[in-house]
This record gives sequence, structure tokens and C-alpha cells, in this order.
Amino acid sequence: MQRIFAIVGLTWKAAFRYRLFWVLAALLVGAVVALPMLIKDDGTARGFTQILLTYTLGSITALLGIATLWLSCGTLARDIEESQIQMVVVKPIARWQIWIGKWLGILSLNAMLLAIAGGSVFFLLQWRATRLAPDQQAILRNEVLVARAGVREILPDFRDAVETELQRRLRNNPVNPKDIPVIRKQIDEQIKAGIQSVPAGGYRPWRIDLGRAKNSLRDQPLFLRVKFFTAQSAPSGTFMALWQVGNPEKMRVWRSEPMSLAPETFHEIIIPPNLFDENGLLDIVFVNPNNATLLFPLDEGMEVLYREGSFGLNFARGLGIIFCWLALLASLGLAAASFLSFPVAAFVSLSVLILGLSSGTMASVVEEGTILGVDHESGAAQASSVLDTVLVPVFGAVLKVINLVQSFSPIDSLSTGRSITWTQLGLAGTQIVLLLGGILAAIGIITFTRRELATAQGTS
Amino acid sequence: MNFTREKFYKPILLALAACLFFGVSQTQRAMNRDRETLGLTRVAPLENAPPVLAFTTVALGGFRGLIANALWIRASDLQENDKFFEMVQLADWITKLEPHFVHVWLVQGWNMAYNISVKFSEPEDRWRWVQRGIELLRDQGIPWNPDETLLYRELSWFFQHKMGHNLDDAHQFYKIAWANEMKEAFGGKPNYAELLDPQTDEAKARVQTLREKYKLDPQLMKEVDELYGPLEWWLPDAHAIYWAEMGRRKAKSEEQQTLRRSIYQTMQQAFFRGGLRENKIDNTFTLGPNLEIIEKVNRTWEIFAEEDLSQKEHMKSFHKNFLHNAVYFLFVANRKAEAARWFDYLSKTYPQAVLDKNGRKYALDEFAIAQVTEDVSETDVNKTTALIQGFLRSAFFELAQDDDDRAANFELMAQKVWNRYQAEIEGAQKRVGLKPMNELKRAVREELFDPESGFSPEMLNHLRTKLGMSAPTNAPTAGVVPK
Repeated sequence: MQRIFAIVGLTWKAAFRYRLFWVLAALLVGAVVALPMLIKDDGTARGFTQILLTYTLGSITALLGIATLWLSCGTLARDIEESQIQMVVVKPIARWQIWIGKWLGILSLNAMLLAIAGGSVFFLLQWRATRLAPDQQAILRNEVLVARAGVREILPDFRDAVETELQRRLRNNPVNPKDIPVIRKQIDEQIKAGIQSVPAGGYRPWRIDLGRAKNSLRDQPLFLRVKFFTAQSAPSGTFMALWQVGNPEKMRVWRSEPMSLAPETFHEIIIPPNLFDENGLLDIVFVNPNNATLLFPLDEGMEVLYREGSFGLNFARGLGIIFCWLALLASLGLAAASFLSFPVAAFVSLSVLILGLSSGTMASVVEEGTILGVDHESGAAQASSVLDTVLVPVFGAVLKVINLVQSFSPIDSLSTGRSITWTQLGLAGTQIVLLLGGILAAIGIITFTRRELATAQGTS
Repeated sequence: MNFTREKFYKPILLALAACLFFGVSQTQRAMNRDRETLGLTRVAPLENAPPVLAFTTVALGGFRGLIANALWIRASDLQENDKFFEMVQLADWITKLEPHFVHVWLVQGWNMAYNISVKFSEPEDRWRWVQRGIELLRDQGIPWNPDETLLYRELSWFFQHKMGHNLDDAHQFYKIAWANEMKEAFGGKPNYAELLDPQTDEAKARVQTLREKYKLDPQLMKEVDELYGPLEWWLPDAHAIYWAEMGRRKAKSEEQQTLRRSIYQTMQQAFFRGGLRENKIDNTFTLGPNLEIIEKVNRTWEIFAEEDLSQKEHMKSFHKNFLHNAVYFLFVANRKAEAARWFDYLSKTYPQAVLDKNGRKYALDEFAIAQVTEDVSETDVNKTTALIQGFLRSAFFELAQDDDDRAANFELMAQKVWNRYQAEIEGAQKRVGLKPMNELKRAVREELFDPESGFSPEMLNHLRTKLGMSAPTNAPTAGVVPK
């Protein structure tokens, strides 16, 4: 370990020698200080905090990401080209220890810079929050500067009902066996629609089980996060909604004033505390006073949000996930620099990064099944190509790898006050650092070990 | 020797760069002139732009479009996921990158004022987004594109439709919020003598606020009032007309009609709801008709009918309805002479419109009452009771607002309906007769003093004073309201 730490120390010295640390620190703190003065918000404290979190953390991630790639390519490739590495490899240190030492050096540098920048953002937000009016502060601390978890209704298993109905239909109307999966899916959707739809004048109940969280939720307000769809339009663009929360037979009940809500968008409705029973069950009823049927989708129609933890710890976990991304970028840069010259390694690393950020395009190609696009009216591919047979599976495989990294969105979660759990952080560490980072590290270490360093000198 | 060369190398390069920049700045004007005369560009060079805008349009060059597209995609994605807090910033960047692309301004402004605002359930949140949409066009879009009539039309529409109409559930909030802002800005009702020639520091500050914050030109305001008013400048309709008129003055001849129609439509709206009455007792506003613009609104209907011969019959139908309402509103406001004049005009222009179902010409008061009833000779006791109670409620409401004339008029209408009904059912009073008028009045009064009635405590206190009633005590009253 002493040898590895020696390499870590050399990496730090190089970063300071090139003034990289100071320049980065200045840029990061500058971003934290300057952004609040430059960005335009929607005029609310909540909106300002959300946009500030998004842009500062986004800037920090971008700055540190680019710097990490650059440094990781440079610290190894330039050492090789300028023959400085030869002064190290002649020492009693294995090649893998050099590689890991450089990786840890970059990581520790990132950790320090991330801590400085992240800490600045955190204290800036806390300081700004204390200067707000009490009611604005309450909104911030309930909805943004908080870690909220969500719980949804446990969906019943429709499979038995679907099969029963399917068999009944097949008895009456036998069909081609090839059509059975389609019919099964249709029956499934019909059964779900019966639960999701709330006809005019009707109502829809939910029973949400808060589980063990009930013990910590005494005297805490909860939020209903709801979304509905409708096929009809209203001149005002909104529909009236009436809510009742609580069980009239067991405890006090809260009934809302008529609310004017827009469809196809999430609404968060704060409800008073202590409306769930001793078993942690919360009863919610929606009454539809409109002349239109409203549909609450099973997956996102109703979610109850509650405070799970503090913003500080949540923020730290979010920074942890960003740190995992930086660790992966460091592995990528070092792996490329293990066998490429500095400019080529930098180019390759940046290209891989851009490829990773282009997942939206690849996702559309995989979904549509063609790289040439589809006719949006008929849904059919505009033309088939031999490229599709190669690229669509390749894109599919690449997407699976990219999703290991991009399935985490700490900035999004922090700006909306959602909890980042320890499980998510652990999963990020495992998938991003150990799995993907480990694969890149293995490639890098193996190529670096087998490389003839003496033949890799630059011409200068 | 090498050290000396290196010592001067960088300073010489810097000096050379400075000389070249100076040279370019001198030739820039000539190059811009040549661009225009030789037709080398569709877009005029941006002049007097703030540093950020100048940077984005010059330094980014052809990448501007690409970056604008990327930002637009981000904005669409965020909107689909209901994340609106970045919208103001993204709209700002997109419009800065494409400042002369009119549809960018239109779409972003509309998106904020209409699509995003309606996603929020609280009126305050909706108002915030409507303001963002208005500010985008008024404070940035129009200054950068002063000759683009579409922008004026759109801004006028926001005022006329989003704020002035009643389709948005929060429209009352928008009107009240805007009225409060205008009250603050004008320091009361607009005084053109003071606005055009401010003498005091306070007046000068007021004019500066109007020009810099609301982009209102007092001279143009005065001209708009003379052409289309007098308008209520605390309400959005006046501003809709202002911006449409400003656009009309810059519009080409083929664009004139659209803006004129916009002005006329807003005038119709202003007639029905363009009168603002401030309730000083509980600091609220109520909307009512603007009777001062009847003459000019009438003229607009005549112009509509002349301009569009294919729609002439429709326009006549709307004109007739307008005159019906004009007569009624004037009558209710106790401006009987004007009501009679317009009634006379209506009977000459549309003779059939003033006849009852038996072909007899209405008297003025009968005609006014007929506007709010299906049939003045209604003989259903419940419907007639409800109608009389409605007039009495209005009378008490006007009394509480110190408008004794209107209160007296509503009470008169209630009495006329009562008299007519009792005459119609002669001989059957015992069976289907109405309760005595003072009993009906008492019942309505008791209902109004119920805490659930909706009248504020301040208004109820004022009404007690007007009626000469004693103030309520804390002693239990067993549910009986004092007479």
C-alpha cells in the first residue's frame, strides 16, 4: 500500500505543479458564486433553489468530468511519452500498482474538489434559505431541501383475472393461437382501465400502506403526488378535483376545497399530519365532479411522499453518486492512456463520453428497430438497411451498458427533494465503479503491464 | 540574445493583435453596409446589443442554431417531465440565440403564459407564469423586433384572452393582481396632464416606471383613449388595445385588418367587463360594464358589418345583442336618458328586437327587465320569487358599495316585477300570490347577514350603517338576526 500511496502523492504533486488543482478550485467556487447572479428563475424561492441545485451541480459535474478525463489521460500518457515513467517503473513497484496509484490519486483529488464545491453549494443554499420569509422557508424545507421517499399502492395481481377472462372468451370465440398474446394484453389493459378510470360523478379510492415509516411520520405533513389523463378537453384546460384523506370510521378526515388541476402533469397536494391509522394505512378518495372521465394510471397516478431524512445526508449521497461517475471517467482515461498517446487517448475518451451522452438517439433507434427513422403516421420503417441488422443489436448492447451508469440521476432527485437511498448509492458504487470501472481498470492494467514503455517515447 | 527575443515576443504579439482588432472595428461598419447593399445576408446585424447577446450572435456563429436546437430539446423534455423551474432560463437563452426568429419568441411566450401556467393549481403560481410570458414579449421580444406585428398581436392576445377573458379559473386573480399593479404604477387613475408633463419628483418617478417597467408611452396611451376609450387602464383590456394599436401603427397594409379586429374584439369585451369598481370597504374590485365606450363600440359593430359582407347577418345579430345589453346596463346604472336614446336607436335599427311575444312594443323598463327574464309576464310563483330576490340581493350589494342610485334601481325593478305578477294573477293571490315585498326584503337581508353569505364583515358593517341597524352583540340571539 505504501507504494500505491507514493504514486498517489506523485499524482497530487503533478496536479499542483501544473496548477490544475488551484485553477479547478477557482472555477468551481466561481461557478457556485457566479451562477446565482446569472441564472433566471421562475420568481419563487423553490424554483430558484431547484435551478440553482441543477445548474451548480451540473456545472461541477461537467467541470470535474472534463478535468478528470484530461488529467487521467495526461498523467499516464505524458509520463510515458516524456519517459518520466521509466524513473518509476525501475523502482520495486508493479505496473498495476502504478495504475491503481494514479487512479486513486485522481480520485482523491476529485474527492477534495467535490467536497469543496459541494460544501459551498450546500452552505449557500442553507444561507439563502435562512434569509427567506418563514412561509417560503417552510415550503423549501418541506419540498426541496429535504429527502422524501414515495410509496404507491400495492397493485393487485391481475394474471388470474386475465386468464379467467381469456378462457371465457376463447370458449365463446376460438381464435388463432398467434393472436392469443395480443388478446391477453388487451384484456389486461381493459381490467386495468376499469380500475384507473374515474367516470363523471364517480370516485376512486386508494389504500396506501406506509409500512414501518409510520413510526417516524407522527405530526409530519404528507404529500399526495397525483397525475391524471383525460380524453376530453376543457375550455379552461383544467378539471375540478375533490379529495378526501383518512378513514371516517377510525379517525379524523381531511377534505379538500375544490381544486382546479391540469391533466397530464404532476401535482403535489399537502395533507395534514396523522391521517393514517395505527397500522400505517392511509385511505385516499378522489371524487370526480366533472362531466368527463379522468384516468389515474396505476404506476404514477398516486404516490404518497413523506420525509425520509435530512437534506444534508441526501446531498452527500448525491455527491457520492457523482463521485462514482468521476471514478468511472478516471478509469476510462487511464485505460485509454495505457496504450494510446495523450491526444489520441483524450480524443477516444471524449468520444466515449459523447457516445454515452447520446443514449437518447440510440434508444430511439432500438425502439424503432431502424436507424433510418420511421414514418410517424404509419409507424413503419421508412426503409430497411443492412446497417439495421448490425447497428440495432449493437446499440441495444451499448444501451444496456450505458444504463448501468445513467439509471442514477442524483441531480434530478436533489432538485425535486427526492431521497437518494443508501441502497442506490451502494448500487451505483457496484455497477459504476466496481463493474464498469473494474472492467476498464482490468483492460488498462493488462495493456499497461504488457506495454514496452521504452518504445513509447515522444519525439520532442 | 534568445532571452531578449523571448522577452519581447509575447508583448509584440499582443500589440499586433490589438492593432488588428482596432483595424477590424474600423472596417466593421463598412462591411455591414456592404452586406446590406449587396444582399449578402437575410438578417440585419445586431446593433446596440448587450454583451451577452452580442457574444452569442457573433462568437458562436453557425453553432447558434445547433445550440438553440439542443436547448429547445431540453426544454421540451423538461416540460414533458413537468419540470418547469428551468423554463424561464431556457427561454431566455433560446431567444438570445435566435433573437430575430419571431416564432421563437411567440412559442416561448405562449408556452409560459398558457401551457405551463395551467399546470399549477394555485392562482399565484399561474399568475407568475403568465407574467413571465408577457415580460418575455414585452421586455425583450418587441424591443429586439420592433417591426414584427405578430409579437404585438400575441402580447395583445395575452392581455385580452388570458387575463381579460374568463376561461382561466384564475382569471379573477390575474385581473385583481394587475389592477393592484396599475394602481401602484399610476398612483390612482391615469392623469395625462401629469404623465405627459411631470413636474414633481413623484410624477417623474411614476412616468419612469411606466416607461421602463411596463413599456407604456403616456402619449400613446392618451391617443388610444381618445380613439377607443375612455378605457379602464387598471384592467387588461386597455393594455390589449394599447399593444394592438402600437402594432397596427407599424403594420403593413395587409396586416392592418388583423390588428384592427383584435382591437374591436377587445372593445366588445371591455364594454361587458371593462368597468372597474373599487370597493374601498374591503379593498376588492368588482367588474362591470364600461358604459363610456358604448358609442365607439357601436361604431365598431357597424364597421364589422361593412367590412365583411359575407358575415353581415352574423354581425347584425351580434350588434343587436350588444344594443340589448347597452340599454339594460344603462337602465340599471340609472342613466335613463341614455338608455332611452339607445332604446330608440335599437327600435329604429332593429324594429323587431323591441317587441314582446304578442307583437307589442316594450316600454323601456319592461325591456330592461326582459333582458334578465325569459318572460316578463312569468306567472310561476317560485321563479318570480327567485327573480325578485335576485334583484333585492343586487340592491343590497350596491347599497353596501355606496351606490345608492343603482341600489334604488334594482329595488325598483324588483317592485315592478312584484306589481306585474300580482296584477297577472288577479283573483288567485291566496293560492299562488307572492309574499309581501317587505317580507321578501327581510328574508334576503337575513340571508345576507349569515356568515356564510360571502359578504365580508366590513361590508356587512357598512350595510348595517346604511340600513340604520344596530351593531350585533355577543349575547346569544337564538338564530334571529335583528331587523
